Amino acid sequence: MPLIPRLTRLWRNLFHKDRVDRECSEEIQAYLEMVTEAKLRQGLSPQEARRNALLELGGVEQVEERVREIRMGRFIETAWRDIRLGVRTLVHSPIFTIVTVLSLALGIGANTAIFGVVNGLLLRPLPYPEAEQIVHVWHTPPQQSFPGLDRFSVSPANYLDWKAQSTVFEQIAVYTDTSLSLSTSNDPLPLIGGVVSSDFFSVLRSSAMQGRTFTPDDEQPGHDQVVVISHKLWQRAFGANPNIIGQALTLNSRSFTVVGIMPPGFEFPREAELWVPLAWDDKERQTRSIHDYLVLARLKKNVSVKQAQAEMSTISSRLEQQYPQENSGWGAVVIPLRDDLVGDIRLALLVLFCAVAFVLLIACTNVANLMLARGANRQKEMAVRIALGAGRARLIRQLLTESVLLAVTGGLLGLLLAIWGSRMLVRLGSLPNSGDIGIDIWALGFTLLVSFGAGIIIGIVPALQFTRTSISETLKQGSGRTGGSPIKQHTRKALVISEVALSLVLLIGAGLMIRSFWKLQNVDPGFDTRNALTMSVVLNWIRYSEPHQQLAFLDRATEQIRAVPGVVSVGVTTTVPLTGGGSTQPFSIEGRPVGTIAEQPMAQTRYITPDYFRAIGIPLRQGRFFSDQDRDNSVPVIIISEAMARRFWPGENPIGKRLTPSFHKEQGTREIVGVVGDVKARGLDSDSSTMMYLPFKQSPRPFMSFVVRTSSNPESLIQPVTKAIYSIDKEQALTNVETMDQVLTKSLSGRRFNMTLLLTFAGVALLLAAVGVYGVMNYTVTLRRRELGIRMALGAAKMDVLRLVLSQGLTLTLIGVGAGLISAYALTRLMASLLYGVTATDYLTFGSVSAVLILVGLAASYVPARRATKVNPTIALRAE
Amino acid sequence: MAKRQVDLLQGTLDLLVLKSLALRPLHGLGVSNRIAQITKGTFQVKPGSLFPALHRMEEAGWLDSSWGESENNRRAKYYRLTAAGRRQFDAETQDWQRISLAITSALKAT
Repeated sequence: MPLIPRLTRLWRNLFHKDRVDRECSEEIQAYLEMVTEAKLRQGLSPQEARRNALLELGGVEQVEERVREIRMGRFIETAWRDIRLGVRTLVHSPIFTIVTVLSLALGIGANTAIFGVVNGLLLRPLPYPEAEQIVHVWHTPPQQSFPGLDRFSVSPANYLDWKAQSTVFEQIAVYTDTSLSLSTSNDPLPLIGGVVSSDFFSVLRSSAMQGRTFTPDDEQPGHDQVVVISHKLWQRAFGANPNIIGQALTLNSRSFTVVGIMPPGFEFPREAELWVPLAWDDKERQTRSIHDYLVLARLKKNVSVKQAQAEMSTISSRLEQQYPQENSGWGAVVIPLRDDLVGDIRLALLVLFCAVAFVLLIACTNVANLMLARGANRQKEMAVRIALGAGRARLIRQLLTESVLLAVTGGLLGLLLAIWGSRMLVRLGSLPNSGDIGIDIWALGFTLLVSFGAGIIIGIVPALQFTRTSISETLKQGSGRTGGSPIKQHTRKALVISEVALSLVLLIGAGLMIRSFWKLQNVDPGFDTRNALTMSVVLNWIRYSEPHQQLAFLDRATEQIRAVPGVVSVGVTTTVPLTGGGSTQPFSIEGRPVGTIAEQPMAQTRYITPDYFRAIGIPLRQGRFFSDQDRDNSVPVIIISEAMARRFWPGENPIGKRLTPSFHKEQGTREIVGVVGDVKARGLDSDSSTMMYLPFKQSPRPFMSFVVRTSSNPESLIQPVTKAIYSIDKEQALTNVETMDQVLTKSLSGRRFNMTLLLTFAGVALLLAAVGVYGVMNYTVTLRRRELGIRMALGAAKMDVLRLVLSQGLTLTLIGVGAGLISAYALTRLMASLLYGVTATDYLTFGSVSAVLILVGLAASYVPARRATKVNPTIALRAE
Repeated sequence: MAKRQVDLLQGTLDLLVLKSLALRPLHGLGVSNRIAQITKGTFQVKPGSLFPALHRMEEAGWLDSSWGESENNRRAKYYRLTAAGRRQFDAETQDWQRISLAITSALKAT
């Protein structure tokens, strides 16, 4: 049939439904009368003729309904009618509707919010063209020196060899990030800058919005005073000045010419706001054993990560043979950029996503149960409609329309929750690429999909139940009995059991996270975080290139800070504990065999001033601290951590022993003068590091972190202390100005984020499960009123009734707990790497959480049980 | 036997309706009577199947309908084959003949 008549027909069916229906019924009526007439002619009496004709027809209504079912546009019409009917039904029971919509909104909203994060971080492509071709190439360090470390930054000479020898990359670039100070008319602005080779931008296929990026000429020492700025910096520091290209700005006391502005959203490496060229001189180009750089590359088309990995492994083993002294044990690993950026977050996010899906499942189960509880009335309605000719499929469809309507309303409300929630998430858990997180069209689609799914899940069980019953049975039943057939009770119980099981899994997950967090909080970081302040400075290359300049800055700054009222002591180190940074170097012990650099043991290295240990509160175990007499012209000395003493001098006194850190070979061997307590360098969950402390004054560095111990609240001293440092050089920006307590808190923020979310989800799940148990037990009591009444009439005491109901509730809970324990046992091991100090199957957590859930189950059954004891036998019996 | 009749009708009803209308327009009862007649009473089409089939075929464009007078001066809805309906009838007839031939010979095979 051509389209136009078809559409006319559809139009008629949808919008002139009355006429179509009238014609149909007229047609059938005519048929009926013709048959009657025929019967009359055969000699039947008028009544008989009519009766026979009706019997033959099989019911005018039924025939009409069957004709309606085949009509075009039937689907749309039915859906529309079901929606109107659904809205009317739901409006008639406002409490049910509100409770249902709210719990679904919570469940769906939480899912959407977490989906927003997962989508932004794990699913959506990075904002660079063909980003799946971009990889990081790292070194893999020798395992005997760096147990557990699987990637390591790259040295200039190795990078240059990789670049020259590899064939799998379209482009390969090298970069690092650095702290820079931008001079302004006020205090200097601390910035993160990318120091990048000229290919960096072409690997990312990103070009400047205005001006240009770098060319190979910019990589020549002396020609590298050019800078590309981010859109954000252009706006916040230069007021979006359209003539900025070609102008000069002062970075680290050195003048740079702005050559380009990047488009909005370009922020790589993380938080970088400007980029300067990487210009290696000849000496740097030959450095092979100092690993400071990251290598970014774009795979050629049709080259897989695996192929690239194979080639890089070949190149590395060739370099190992060529330079055994520096390179033996150093491999290479190719990692897709996205995997590298997302890193550890992936597992945590997936765990959270599972958790939040569980919450939604529980919410759905609860709503399904609520719908079943409304069953009695609905069942009669359904029976009547079946009697009137409605097919079962048709009724199921109507009930599903109703539940989908509920779920979609819940979903839309949930979307609002999710918009708010994803903002909270970004704030709560310092997430990478936070700009990518939020509610977009994908999240919207996800919400709708989940809502439809939830609608089907909550609707299908009740729909099947309501339409299954035999018509005559239901219609015959009076209104006195709340028709809960035994089958339906089984369904409701099964739903509650699964609810209990799901929430137990969540609670155990949350319990394990809490136990980990508690254990971590009780871990001694090895120093005193109270009343201490820290700030870092990276000295610029112009005024502070010489060691004596660096020392002069250190001395003056220390002096100025010490003069601030409220300051107790001031120390300097190169990296503050718990922040995870810091350098590591090989060393050799006097009197023991010295292998190649690659074979030597490694230890973390810090360069400190004599007052550092006092200021941060690291205790002395043996020997002495450094003193002002440990200078560049005095005997080279060293202090080691307890862990290092235990590992390399077990059962011996390390004081007076001598060792040589390989980066300071020219100063000869150093005498160990002290042993100090261990600190957690990489975070509370890391092992105590083997640590070497060298006097800052014997090997000055161009960067330093101050640790200031204060006599009172350290926050009040932030202002005067920073001012004291700016008074020395107002082009030298301070970074990471924090109290040590903040450093500690920040080091736990990822864990706190996971724990808080999981705990919230588990709490919601527990609440929902309690409501579920309560609902089912309450309903059971209503059903068993008569039986309970008889029992009490026959002499059962209130205690017996109480026990009877409680034990039924307890049985449900126990079965749920059993099922939950088995699932948890299988599932929690997936999150093992998120835990600290507890195993994934920690008995204590499993036990105590089960106990909590059983108690909650009992409490939820107690209220209905109490109600049961109040049953008045006479009234209960009469009510039948 | 009654049950089997219904099963048979599912596949052949369309064809029988088309056949009964091939000669001249008929109303619902007329179609039903004509089918009984041409199948020598093997198929008694019940209104519960007949009317949905008529309406479905009308919506598919095979039939056209109009209101007219019945033999007893009663208003009735008459169905007639359209050009598309005639083509459909020819096609279904050929299909049916092929199938019935094939099945008959299959059943005769030893």
